Amino acid sequence: MNDDDHETPDQKRTGYSGAALATESQPHSIFSPSRIWALTMHTFTQMVRMRVFYFLLFFSAGIILVAFMFLRFTPEQELKLLKDVSLGAMSLFAGIFAIAGTALLIPKDLEDRTLYTILCKPVPRFEYLLGKLLGMLVLIFVSMLFMDALFCTVVGVRQKILEKEVAVAYDQELAKYPEREQNESWKEQREEALSAITENGLRWDLQAAVWAIFLKASVMTAVTLLVSTFATTTLFTIISSIAVFIIGHGQHLGRSYFLSGAPDGGLERALAGALAVIFPDFHLYDIVDAVVSGETIATTLLLQMSGMTCLYLLIYTAAASFVFSNKEL
Amino acid sequence: MEVDWQDWRDGRKDVTIEVCEQIPVTHCASTVTNDIKMNDTPDAPAVEIEHLTKLFRIPSLRKQTVLAVNDLSLTVGRGEVYGLIGPNGSGKSTTMKVLLGLLHATSGKCSIFGRDSSQVDSRKDVGFLPENPYFYKHLTASETLEFYGRVCGLTKAERRDQNARLLKLVDLEHAKDRRLAGYSKGMLQRIGLAQALVQNPRLVVLDEPTAGVDPSGSRQIRDLILELKEQGISIILSSHLLEQVQEVCDRVGIIYKGDLVREGRLEDLISIEDQTEIILKNASAALLEKVRALAMGESTEVISIGRPRTTLERLFLEETQ
Repeated sequence: MNDDDHETPDQKRTGYSGAALATESQPHSIFSPSRIWALTMHTFTQMVRMRVFYFLLFFSAGIILVAFMFLRFTPEQELKLLKDVSLGAMSLFAGIFAIAGTALLIPKDLEDRTLYTILCKPVPRFEYLLGKLLGMLVLIFVSMLFMDALFCTVVGVRQKILEKEVAVAYDQELAKYPEREQNESWKEQREEALSAITENGLRWDLQAAVWAIFLKASVMTAVTLLVSTFATTTLFTIISSIAVFIIGHGQHLGRSYFLSGAPDGGLERALAGALAVIFPDFHLYDIVDAVVSGETIATTLLLQMSGMTCLYLLIYTAAASFVFSNKEL
Repeated sequence: MEVDWQDWRDGRKDVTIEVCEQIPVTHCASTVTNDIKMNDTPDAPAVEIEHLTKLFRIPSLRKQTVLAVNDLSLTVGRGEVYGLIGPNGSGKSTTMKVLLGLLHATSGKCSIFGRDSSQVDSRKDVGFLPENPYFYKHLTASETLEFYGRVCGLTKAERRDQNARLLKLVDLEHAKDRRLAGYSKGMLQRIGLAQALVQNPRLVVLDEPTAGVDPSGSRQIRDLILELKEQGISIILSSHLLEQVQEVCDRVGIIYKGDLVREGRLEDLISIEDQTEIILKNASAALLEKVRALAMGESTEVISIGRPRTTLERLFLEETQ
């Protein structure tokens, strides 16, 4: 082939593509936030168009039902029950999203060969994983945002209704027995009843519980993504992730058992260390019961939870990236 | 050895056939460079695969392996259309996947325009259409191209232009806002081809681009490949439709049980060595008699003299059975 022939293809190609793309002359960047964001938003869109948000209808119907069903309880009990059921439902849905949704992502891309078309572009594998992870986190965050808004609205409305009902009940009592206006004890009783409703109603601590649920779901997403990089079936991924979820809740018990039994034992320490590294400590996120009971959550605890979540995400994503970069596709 | 390709094309010399046969299979192409640099150089071929071997481990107690590709070497020149053919399980897709960095080579190396193909940056110049791709069914054709444009780092204006140009190229402008879930097989293949071209690659790898597509769709895809060829894009094509390979490919490699058993220019491969064909124009019956005797006439124009050809299909069956 002569020199003319050698030059022709690229010259001709310019004719095909019109003006050369600006990106063609640019060096390839190893890390590109815009690529990751494209993958993130794509994952989010994919899940949204799989109609996963339909579950929000169940959630809405559920908490509205709970809010107005248990009318025989005291106002405090009713609000506690509402918070308990709502936060439990949030935790359940976030967990389902984190495990079932994430477990589907890579196997589906592999099965449909869409993974090939992405990784054959100049996309590093860790960026692909990061995009998937962030896409799921955005999805869970948006879901939590919706559930939180609905939850707060329902609790707020129910609180106002209960406050009004209690106030009306006391006012009716006062109308019936006007002398009670001078009764300090009766007045205190009225104030206590109203403040009990306020204490069990809308408080900032509820947001701490919602945040804890989101953080726990984020860790579960990262764990599931890691498992799915080496799992051969989606079922295996889901079962393994659920197992990690269960172990994670008892991790602190195992750790304290190994360490308390033989504080100086090397093997026990190693086991405790391995347990702490391999499995996340979900006990850290168990603040829902305390919040439902009306306890105040310390800011330091929230910071600690957030910090540990970042650390878990970093560790599990790095491990997933290592496994995935060596995976034969 | 210097080869006068123009003479060869004009049929003035048939020596080129012999020349090509003397060159080892892996170095038949004139663009082979022995010293591949790791940066893109004008001299580097579009693809160079050197002594590629791929073993797959079978998960079992005894560490068994399967040899998918065995010491395969080939070169694809710039602007060349290379056909990779072979029976199912012969190692075509494995070779392509190693080239695209989806699989790791057990030994040997692959380069794309002089860059190590296991490096991500080499894929800036590559578009790939896998066999039977489904794509994201929840996206429309426009959204699909938008997504692939984004991951390729195209700017908003570039994505808009490429989107319009490629949808026109693959004749899907009318269906650009329909979700891919409602696309026919042929339409999916065409949008697949469009996504492969989204970043203006210099090399396009097509794995069975017409698998499962009806004859009309298949012809459309063939025409698109010819159009890309016309524009000077290097193409590696794997197909079972040998007639199609014969129509579009400059060079062909036949893989059988992981080995590259034959490789070369299509014209060379399908010519029959020990026969000569003479085509005459305006020859009378009497002249034909003389031609039979002398194979030459006084007022007869000799259109071409060469070797009669077999078909690629026949060659393929001979080599793989």
